[in-house]
Amino acid sequence: RQRWRADGRALRKLPVHVGLVVTEEEPSYADMASLVVWCMAVGISYVSVYDHNGIFKRNNSRLMDEILKQQQELIGLDCSKYTVEFANQDKTGQVLNCQSTLKVLSPEDGKADIVKAARNFCQLVAQQQRTHTDLNVNVLDDLLSSTNGFPDPDLVLKFGPVDSTLGFLPWHIRLTEIISLPSHLNISYEEFFSALHHYAACEQRWGK
Amino acid sequence: MSWIREGELTIIERFCANIIKAGPMPKHVAFIMDGNRRYAQKCHVERQEGHSQGFEKLAQTLRWCLNLGIQEVTVYAFSIENFKRSKEEVDGLMDLARQKFSRLLEEQENLKKHGVCIRVLGDLPLLPVDIQELIAQAVLATRNYNKCFLNVCFAYTSRHEISNAVREMAWGVEQGLLEPSDVSESLLDKCLYTNNSPDPDLLIRTSGEVRLSDFLLWQTSHSCLVFQSVLWPEYSFWNLCEAILRFQMNYSALQKARDSYMEERRRQQMERDQDYVTRKLQQEGSASHGDSRRRRTLLQKCTAMREERIQGFLQALEHKRADFFERLCTVSA
Repeated sequence: RQRWRADGRALRKLPVHVGLVVTEEEPSYADMASLVVWCMAVGISYVSVYDHNGIFKRNNSRLMDEILKQQQELIGLDCSKYTVEFANQDKTGQVLNCQSTLKVLSPEDGKADIVKAARNFCQLVAQQQRTHTDLNVNVLDDLLSSTNGFPDPDLVLKFGPVDSTLGFLPWHIRLTEIISLPSHLNISYEEFFSALHHYAACEQRWGK
Repeated sequence: MSWIREGELTIIERFCANIIKAGPMPKHVAFIMDGNRRYAQKCHVERQEGHSQGFEKLAQTLRWCLNLGIQEVTVYAFSIENFKRSKEEVDGLMDLARQKFSRLLEEQENLKKHGVCIRVLGDLPLLPVDIQELIAQAVLATRNYNKCFLNVCFAYTSRHEISNAVREMAWGVEQGLLEPSDVSESLLDKCLYTNNSPDPDLLIRTSGEVRLSDFLLWQTSHSCLVFQSVLWPEYSFWNLCEAILRFQMNYSALQKARDSYMEERRRQQMERDQDYVTRKLQQEGSASHGDSRRRRTLLQKCTAMREERIQGFLQALEHKRADFFERLCTVSA
């Protein structure tokens, strides 16, 4: 544990929320679990996992089992210090561990969530509880529910040969750095950490 | 013509173009033209000169796109976030816009000859009124041309665009033109500033940055994203070819992903409609409930009524937008 936390602290900046986006057709639960566990070990507070077929989401519990297993292997005895809570009832599948939170996402958390928020707002308008002029960027942002409690991703690590986000949280990635890696299969900690290093070197001007 | 460089490809460029055109070609390319200021620093010139060179490069890139048969181009010219820059720089960019739009209006014959339809997308009321008027004139003058399309995002961010689309649908509900249940992904598509364009096949960002910076977030969810390290004013025909090659390599994977996404979307819409019909049938009583013909009829009727409402709403929206431009033109006349 000491080693990973130190690695995290050594970086000029650490992302607060990392999106792990798999574009390969056959996702690997073990490799994704490793990535999630490394994110948490290094001190990243929010992690989301995504594939455009929704495979991880449908097989949420299998992923959680892998993560628990990897946690025990990699972090060892320290695991007993942390209470791992499963929110399996919650469809987004949140796992709380130490100071990190995980969400498992799919395309329905993207455009479909925006449409749902729009429909709900229009329902309020139909009931004359709101007028159309009430709707602005901040209001719409608040109405979105797919990433409740999560800040926007600072970084997306995109795995696989496809040069696209394939529907991953379109609204939320407006300022997200997108770093591509060839594959998540048999991914090594060094490759993962080198991507974080790359992120730390990015200059962000915020339009100014 | 100032906005589109005159000229044909060189022999070598034409040779390359023919090879590339043997594969699938993007119909709509979007550019984040980043790197003007870094270029200016590199060449030890003023920022304003960097932006000016950036415009020249735009004109040249449009020419290459036309030579390659790419009919539609969307560019990110000015973000709402860019208003945060120094007053000097913002004023400089506004002056550049004044200059270029005025010039555009002087070249109406050329625009007609090349059939260029110019659209300007963004929160235009945020701009100085005289620029709004120039934009309105350019847009109205070219609105019926259809050989190629240039969309300039000015005073634009994607989140503002999406919020605006939702606000318009809410307005539609307020006006009694829409039901809340009519709100769908496809309706939202039709309310965006880009509703007359297909989604970009390819998005290119120069200068090495690997983010979208609030540009076409909705429309590029399944586009090929190419990040190139070259600074925009130094962009070359070869850089463009390289990006198109990347597009070609991604073509079948993206087609497949897009198709399965649309299939899923259609399925969900069908499910929603069936649920609605089921509820309606339950209201009518148990006799109708199992009747599949009754179900089909009701489904057809609901779909048709929704279609009618949506057409009415979209027409009203179109009028509202045309009105906005026409009013600006009469003011300046």
